[in-house]
Amino acid sequence: MSTKLNLNASLDRRGFVAALGAAGALALAGCGSSKGGASASDAEAAYTLVEEGKIIVASDLANPPLDYVENNQNKGFEVELMEAVAEKLGLTCEYLPAMKFDAIIPLIKQGGKADVGVSNFTITDERKAEIDFSDPYLDSNQGVVTRADAEKDSADTLNADGVKIACQSGTTGETWAQENLPLATIVSLDDPVQAVTGVSTGLYDAAAADLPVMSYLCSQSFTDCKVAIEVPTGEQYGIVVSKDNPGLTQKINDALAELEADGTIADLQIKWFGAEV
Amino acid sequence: MGLRTHIKAPALAAALLAVVLALPCSALAMTTDKATAKPNEDGGSGVIGGMDTRLTWEGTVEEGESVDSVTLTIADDASFDGSTTRITVLEGLTRVNIEGEAAADGNSITVSFADPIPAGSLLRLEVTNMRFPSEGGDYSVEGSYVDGGQTKELAASPSISIIANTPLQSVVNWLDEQPWVAAWNSNQFLGMFFKPQLLVTSFSSLFPGWVLCLGIVIACYPFAIVLGLVFSLLKISKHRLCRAVAVVYINVLRGTPLFLQIYIMFFGLPMVGINIDNNLLGIIVMAVNSSAYLAEIFRAGIQSIPRGQYEAASSLGMSYVQTMFSVILPQTVRRVIPTVTSDFITAFKDTSLLSSVGVMELMMFSKNLTTVSGNITPYVAAGIFYLIVTLPLIKVVGVVEERIAASESGLSRKPRKRDQKKGVPSVQ
Repeated sequence: MSTKLNLNASLDRRGFVAALGAAGALALAGCGSSKGGASASDAEAAYTLVEEGKIIVASDLANPPLDYVENNQNKGFEVELMEAVAEKLGLTCEYLPAMKFDAIIPLIKQGGKADVGVSNFTITDERKAEIDFSDPYLDSNQGVVTRADAEKDSADTLNADGVKIACQSGTTGETWAQENLPLATIVSLDDPVQAVTGVSTGLYDAAAADLPVMSYLCSQSFTDCKVAIEVPTGEQYGIVVSKDNPGLTQKINDALAELEADGTIADLQIKWFGAEV
Repeated sequence: MGLRTHIKAPALAAALLAVVLALPCSALAMTTDKATAKPNEDGGSGVIGGMDTRLTWEGTVEEGESVDSVTLTIADDASFDGSTTRITVLEGLTRVNIEGEAAADGNSITVSFADPIPAGSLLRLEVTNMRFPSEGGDYSVEGSYVDGGQTKELAASPSISIIANTPLQSVVNWLDEQPWVAAWNSNQFLGMFFKPQLLVTSFSSLFPGWVLCLGIVIACYPFAIVLGLVFSLLKISKHRLCRAVAVVYINVLRGTPLFLQIYIMFFGLPMVGINIDNNLLGIIVMAVNSSAYLAEIFRAGIQSIPRGQYEAASSLGMSYVQTMFSVILPQTVRRVIPTVTSDFITAFKDTSLLSSVGVMELMMFSKNLTTVSGNITPYVAAGIFYLIVTLPLIKVVGVVEERIAASESGLSRKPRKRDQKKGVPSVQ
């Protein structure tokens, strides 16, 4: 008798769980349809967003003057650019908390957390195989930073056994160092600020990362360091969008073209780099 | 035959370079600045032939020339088929947008530009998914360019050394072809956490990191034990000052995260001009940190020895030092072995924190590999490496604990047995 009762009870519990699950599934389905809603208004370039009315941006926020955090506020060229893009799209721009650079592309690819990745991503063919890029919004180069008093400050002297080159993991700077300084040990760190800190304290011989960031760090924060090598790579930054969301890429490209035409991008360049790039 | 071409290619390149350098008219020619290939060895830094890589070629257009197209050629069975090419034209550091089209034809590729590349600018071609000859060797990129309808030779680039396929890479390539591997990897979880190809490469490339981890913890531990013993003795000392020193040392080190201590030492010491090798500094930090925990373990061990032992020793006329070293500490050692082993396990795992300051240990290698592959498998491999050391030690702790428990309860049982022999009724 008691076993039977127990059985009933457990059946009830199971039924309850099943009902809960069904409710959850319904709720999820509801979410799905609301995603679709965002695109319904625009037939030519339909796109989906994680949250309606918002464009959610993933960034490492560790690349001043492009993207960084100061006094708990996101600042930088890219932050203001994304706000302008969001305005053109009639959306509000929201940044996720800073995340690791090498986690951003997998996150966008996987979907569900952020709509775009904006963290001075150089457009490369390898990355293009994973995700889509918007049209380029800024031209850049690579820079190698050493201590101002360093003896090893050329590509030849840095390409030697026992030399440590700090890079941000997953960046074109890291690939550049691996390819052009094959004898040196490449140390992959989470962000370029950490890399230059290590150079400043003598932990690493040099750091390789995007030139605008390196110039800014050397002139603003690490005055005991210098940009020893300017590597002309002519790379271009693009906004990372999932391959499943070509409509959003299209819309962002339109917005970027408008911002270019109305001089907003030029203004931002003067504000953050002191000159049009 | 293959061998002979290897020897010939660099010689030819050198000869060509010499000719180009010797020519006075070399000013009127496009110069080749460099040619490099992106490392494509899984978990390594070599460029393997016969596998997709990215060739970066740079040349400068000299005064009085404008280049309409460039053809790059690599000897033997190099292949540009299926590659994509990015064109970058730079004047100084400023990018000039010039479009172009690339046409691959076996071991050569011709890139034609929509607008001629102006004089004085740097031309950079990145050819993704091209392959170098599979047998390896030193290869230089040669070719030609068209300047206003006139085809001219390009100077050969400095040679790129290509390695032949490694045994490890052939295992990976073999795994790539297996249907069961494809089926395994098609499961998102298995493919992301236990990808067989990556497990193989991870084990080989993580090995030096594992050795370094072990090296650091083994080198630091004797120092930690000595330091720990000193501070434990200071802590139970009769002198107030000694006790104060020990309490501050132990509490500060146990009360702050090891991560913080590592940062302070690694970034702080160089700032005051003390430059110590990273690995050595790692050993020092680990030793100092462990010593604080060991000091507490030893203190507890020493204090767990019954007072009767001290009284017995002093009744034999032993001094305090004699009592400590010949009576108390030997007994303490037995009692603290399990706890010390546990601390050793903790210290071994904590070496992972050193990766954040650039010590090339296990986590560092797996982090790098995960970055390159975008897969979690290297971390799983690192976990297995940690377990290889920790699991046997955990077993040791268990066995030793059991033995100590048995012998200590045995000590109290023995007299009872003797009592039984003497005919005293046992209290069951």
